[in-house]
Amino acid sequence: MSTNRLNPRRSRRARLLTLAGAVAGLTTLAACSTPGSSDAGQSVAPTAVSTDLGSEPVTITLYDGAGLKSVDDALIAAFTDLHPNVSVETRFDPDNVQAQNAPRVLASDNPPDLARIVALGDIAGNDLLTPLTPWAEVYGWEIPHGQMAMYSVDDQGVRGSGTQYTVASGFVTTGVYYNRQLAEQVGMTEPPTTVEAFADVLAEAHSQGVTPILVGNSTGQGVMITQMLINNHLGATPVNDWVFAAPGATIDTPQSVEAVQTVADWVEAGYFNDDANGTDNAGASGRFAQGEALFYPSGNWDAATLASSMGDNVGFFAPPALEDGAVLAMSDPVTNFGIPARAPNKDAAAAFLDFLMSDDARAVLVEHGFAPSGAGDAPPTEAGSLNEAIQASFAGLVEADGQVQFVQNATNGSTAAWNQQSQLLFGGRTSPSDYLAAIQANYLEELRR
Amino acid sequence: MSTLATAPMPEASTRAARQSRPRRGARRGGWTDWLFLVPALAFYALFVLRPLISTIQYSFYDWDGISLATPVGLANYARVLTDPVLLASVGHSFFLMIFLTALPVLGGLLVAALLQEFRARGLGTLARTTLFLPQIIPGAAAAIAWVWMFSSTGAVNQLLSAIGLDSLTRAWLGDFTWALPSVGVIGLWLNLGFCTILLMSGIGKIDGSIYEAARLDGAGFWRTFAAVTLPGLRQEIGVCVTMTMIAALASFDVVYMSTRGGPGTSTMVPGVMVYQLGFTEGRVGLASALALVLTILVFAVILPLQRLFRER
Repeated sequence: MSTNRLNPRRSRRARLLTLAGAVAGLTTLAACSTPGSSDAGQSVAPTAVSTDLGSEPVTITLYDGAGLKSVDDALIAAFTDLHPNVSVETRFDPDNVQAQNAPRVLASDNPPDLARIVALGDIAGNDLLTPLTPWAEVYGWEIPHGQMAMYSVDDQGVRGSGTQYTVASGFVTTGVYYNRQLAEQVGMTEPPTTVEAFADVLAEAHSQGVTPILVGNSTGQGVMITQMLINNHLGATPVNDWVFAAPGATIDTPQSVEAVQTVADWVEAGYFNDDANGTDNAGASGRFAQGEALFYPSGNWDAATLASSMGDNVGFFAPPALEDGAVLAMSDPVTNFGIPARAPNKDAAAAFLDFLMSDDARAVLVEHGFAPSGAGDAPPTEAGSLNEAIQASFAGLVEADGQVQFVQNATNGSTAAWNQQSQLLFGGRTSPSDYLAAIQANYLEELRR
Repeated sequence: MSTLATAPMPEASTRAARQSRPRRGARRGGWTDWLFLVPALAFYALFVLRPLISTIQYSFYDWDGISLATPVGLANYARVLTDPVLLASVGHSFFLMIFLTALPVLGGLLVAALLQEFRARGLGTLARTTLFLPQIIPGAAAAIAWVWMFSSTGAVNQLLSAIGLDSLTRAWLGDFTWALPSVGVIGLWLNLGFCTILLMSGIGKIDGSIYEAARLDGAGFWRTFAAVTLPGLRQEIGVCVTMTMIAALASFDVVYMSTRGGPGTSTMVPGVMVYQLGFTEGRVGLASALALVLTILVFAVILPLQRLFRER
C-alpha cells in the first residue's frame, strides 16, 4: 500500500468517527442528565371542578388489571347508561404487570383518566395522582373511616391518613373455604371461630388421612394463612401501619414470630399438601374443587369457580381468631381507582368514582362476588349461597373494623420477598425469626430507610 | 468497514478514476459513502448504544424509575459483587451450562454422527424434524408445558410410578434440590435440536471421501468420529457452545415462566433478578449494575472461547 493513500484513509476514518460520534451523541444526549424528574406529574388540583358532564361526547380511558375485566365492564355498562355522552375505553394488562407498569403509564405523555393504583404511597408521593378533595366536597362523599384509610396518603408518603387520592370499586375479602363433605367426615359440625378449634380440626383431618389445608405456595399462597395468623397475634393496626409504611413500623416482632412458628409447626406436622412449593394458585384451587383437601384459605375471587364446580359442597368462613380476639381478615380494594395527575378528563373520571359508591354499582359488585364500596345496606344475595356466606363474613369484618391490608402490598418488591420466604418456610429451610428478619430488611431497603 | 479499504485498486486505475471526476474536491470515499451508513448508524445508536449508555449511567444511581435519582458511586457494583443472593444467581447460570451447553453439544454430536452413519434411509429427515421441533416452540410456552409435566401428578411422576420408582416422585419444580436441574432439563430439551441441526449441516460439509478413506482404513464408528467428524466440526461446535453459553448466562424465559426463581431463590438467575429488581422492585440502579456485570461476564466467557474455536 502506498503512503499517499494512507492520509485520505486516515481522514476517512476520522470522518467516520466524527459522524458516528455525532449520531450517537445526538441520540444519547437525552440520557446524560440525571435520570428521573423531580416533578413527574405536576399534580396541581384544578381550580374549578364540575359534576356536570354536559352533553358533548367525552371519552375516558380506564386502565386496570386483566383479572378485573368482567366487573369493570359491568360497571362501565351501568355508568354509561346513566351518562350516554360518556364512553369508556379500557386497557387491561395482567394484574401483576399492571401493578408494575402503572407508575410508568401514569408518568407517560398519554396517561389514562382512571387507573388502578396498587402502590398508592409511591405513586402519590411522586405527584402522579390528582387529589380528590374538590370532588369529595362537591359530590358530598361520605366514606366509612376504614375505607377512607385505604384511599389516603399524607405529606410524608404514609398511607392511612391525609389527602384522598382514590376510590375503590369494591373490596375483596379473605377467609377459609371448606369442603362440607370432608368436614362432616372429620366431625366438624360448624366452622371453627378460634385458632385453637381450627388446629383441632386440622389434627383430626390429618389423623384420618385427609389433607387438612391445600395451598399453592409456588405462587406464594402460603402467605395467606401466615398473614391470617400474624393479624391475630399482632393486631390490625400494627399490620396496617406496616403496609402503609408508617414511620418506625415493623413486622419483625415476637408476636409475629409466634404466628409464623404456628405455620412452621403445621408444616412440620404435615397439615399442608406436601407438594405446596410445587403447586400454584390455580392448581391448588382446582384440586380443592376436586375434593382433595378440607380447607383452602383464599379470597372471594375464587368463589365463582368453586361454587360452580362444587355446588353446595363448599362453605366459607372468616379467618379464625385468637380466644377473645377480634375477627380480622385481609380485605382491600378490588380496584383502587385514582385519577392520574395528567389525565385529560378529570371531571368525567370523578363522576365514575362517585358512581362506584352508588346503589347501582354496589349491586354490580355483589353480583360479581365482591364486597361493595361506600356505605349503606348490603345488596341482597341468594339465600344459602356461597356468596351469601362471603357477604356475611365481610359485613362482620366491617362491623369489627377488621379490614387488614395484604402484607404483600407494602412495597413493590414485597410479593417476591414474602413468596420466597414462605417457600423457604414450607421447605423447612428457614426459621420464623429469619423469615421475618428477611422481610423487614427487604422492606426497609425498598423504602430507603 | 468500507469496501474501498478492503479492495485496493492499482494506482493507475485510481488515478484514472480521479481524473474522470468533474470536481477536484469530491474524492471517492468522501462524505457520500458515510451518508449511506447514517440510517443504520442512527438506529444502532438509538436502540443499542443509547440504552447501553443509559444503563451504564443508571448503574451509578439509586433510582426508583420515576423520581429524581441519587448518585451513589460504585455502591450498586459493590452490592452485586457481595450480595449472596445475587452471586448465587450467577452460580446458577454456570450450573445451567451443564444442561444448556455441555449436554446439548455432546448429545448433538452423537446424534449427528449417528445420523451421518445411517444416512440416506429417510431417518435423517424424520430425526431432524423431530429434534428441531422444540426450536419452533417459544421458550415460555415450553416452560408452561414442562411445569405440568413436572407437577406432582404430571407426566414425569406418572412415568416414574409406572416403572415402580414411586419413591422418587416429587413436585420437581418445588423441590429445593431438584428445581434447578429440572429447569435445566427444559433447557436441554430446547437446545438439543439446535445443536443437532447445526452439527448435522457441519457434517454435510465434510468431504465424503474422507469418511470413505477412514472406512477403507478400517476405522470404526468411534475412530471415525474422533478422527474425522470432531476435527471437521470445530467451527460448528464453537458456534453451538457460544450460543448455548450465552443462553445459559442470559436465561430468562424458561426460568421466569416455570419457577420465577423459586422455591426460595434456588433457581434464581441473573436475567430474572434484573427483571425483578428493575421492573418489580423499582431498584433500577442495582438492576443496571447487575445487567452490566452480566454483560461483562458473557464477554469474559465467550471471548476466550472464540479464540479457542477459531480455525487455526
